[in-house]
Amino acid sequence: MLRYATLLYVQIRASLLLALQYRWDFVIDGAISVLWAVTALVPLTVAFGERASIAGWTFGEALLVLGWFTLLQGILEGAINPSLVGVVEHIRRGTLDFVLIKPADSQFLVSTARFLPWRATNAVTAAAVFVYAFRRIGHGPSIQGVAAALVLFATAVLLLYSLWILTVSAAFYVVKVDNLTYLFGAVFDAARWPSSIFKGALRLVFTFVIPLALMTTFPAQALLDRLSLPTLAGAIAGALLFAGAARFVWLQSIRKYTSASS
Amino acid sequence: MLPMISVSDLHKHYRVHNRPPGVMAALKSLVHRDYKEVRAVDGITFSVEPGERVGFLGPNGAGKTTTLKVLSGLLHPTRGQVRVGGFTPKDRRDAFLSTITLVMGQKQQLMWDLPPSETFELNRGIYDISRSRFNETIAELSSWLELGSLVSKPTRQLSLGERMKCELAAALIHRPSVLFLDEPTIGLDVSMQSTIRAFIKQYNERYGATLILTSHYMDDVTALCPRVVVVDRGKLSYDGGLEELVTRIRPEKRVMLRLDRDVDASAWEGFGKVVSTEGRSVVLQVPNEQASAIITRALDAFPVEDLTIENAPLEEVMSELFSRSRAAAEEGDT
Repeated sequence: MLRYATLLYVQIRASLLLALQYRWDFVIDGAISVLWAVTALVPLTVAFGERASIAGWTFGEALLVLGWFTLLQGILEGAINPSLVGVVEHIRRGTLDFVLIKPADSQFLVSTARFLPWRATNAVTAAAVFVYAFRRIGHGPSIQGVAAALVLFATAVLLLYSLWILTVSAAFYVVKVDNLTYLFGAVFDAARWPSSIFKGALRLVFTFVIPLALMTTFPAQALLDRLSLPTLAGAIAGALLFAGAARFVWLQSIRKYTSASS
Repeated sequence: MLPMISVSDLHKHYRVHNRPPGVMAALKSLVHRDYKEVRAVDGITFSVEPGERVGFLGPNGAGKTTTLKVLSGLLHPTRGQVRVGGFTPKDRRDAFLSTITLVMGQKQQLMWDLPPSETFELNRGIYDISRSRFNETIAELSSWLELGSLVSKPTRQLSLGERMKCELAAALIHRPSVLFLDEPTIGLDVSMQSTIRAFIKQYNERYGATLILTSHYMDDVTALCPRVVVVDRGKLSYDGGLEELVTRIRPEKRVMLRLDRDVDASAWEGFGKVVSTEGRSVVLQVPNEQASAIITRALDAFPVEDLTIENAPLEEVMSELFSRSRAAAEEGDT
């Protein structure tokens, strides 16, 4: 365990050095991060401009969903996406060989290979959104609400990561999965809205197939003390199930890996 | 003593999609696909003793890289037994992976935008090497490879040769006892090739490491590998000493003579086969057992200024071996 903590430190250090290697990239990356976080606010402001509530959510409450979305988007784009897009490149160029001959878990090594430190600005923006949301609502969250929301946030990260591992594992079979990753990005964008906005089949898909509801709406509901204990337990179980499936598929894919010819 | 590497009846077959050219064939292949089996490695057996340096040779597509990847645990064999240092490579146990390394001349593990020293540091974490041992190894590798300030320049600013030196250092930071080197000198200039060769030999002698080397440069093989294993179309066609291979395939010597005046080519009749004559120089090919007699006669008969005796070039020996093994395989097929 300690060894993997050290490894994580070494990998993060390399990413930080990489981010600092080029001064202008560093500045531009930072500016883009802030811009992205701010633009995430625009659609919500437009939608609530004319009405007080949508699908049972007031503007202040919906901002909580957006807060979680901003935070998760930062994690997706800063910690999950860069490493796993690297896997696709590794598979295409045959350099995954170098990862697989290392005496450490291959899933861990590829998952921690690259971080974009500037995406941490999303966390600052998310914090600002949360503060503003509770000012609109008129009162702060309860302690239990915050605790449940943090647990759900952890399961959301696990879920997001597992979905990415499943997406990337497809690269072992079809090699070019760029389109799949774009599609994933587009679908994930729907998580900025409370899940009750979606009706019928979409709602089912976003709850069970690509559980966007679990990622942003559930933590927001937890902060509002509206989430039942069975839903919380179900969300944890669901995330663990996805993580298990992702691990299984990854191991199967590695077995099948035949590497590019020299 | 147990061999460090033992390979017994190794097979690695691939199923590949076989599609004729053209749009119609492409459309048809969406619905129905024909597959054919490619036998990349087709039943090879050999073993390597600890500390041995073995050249693994063969034409392109012979199955060399596939075998190295099976030995390093990257590919699962279709059939056969493989043991390396007491481990079964395909299990990819940490204890096994910590004792081997794979260097591929055509691929690199160094982080492109960061200096090589950062890749070294990353590998230190992965292989869980103590700081003192890491510093000691780096100092040693740096002095052998004359790395100097190279390790602190971004990798993308290094020349191909400089990159390969750093690539070797990155691959050896954990002091592996088994080295799989897949064309480590490819694309390098002659002096860099010789630096890399000298380094590999030094590492082998210092740590008693076992190594298998593939290369298309016969100078690498001559300088490093007393023993060669030759594969062609997935099958083993020779396993033994390099000297014996040369004498078996070409049991002749090349005799190069420089005279102090021009001599007509016809004058060399009866002195073996004339390979070439150019001005006052002549190259003869003579059977090994007659070499000394013919040379004595030539020294008596002609005004010889300089004399050199060599084996046939290894490139020629190899191409002769490949054409013989192919002819034998075709004969076997019919």
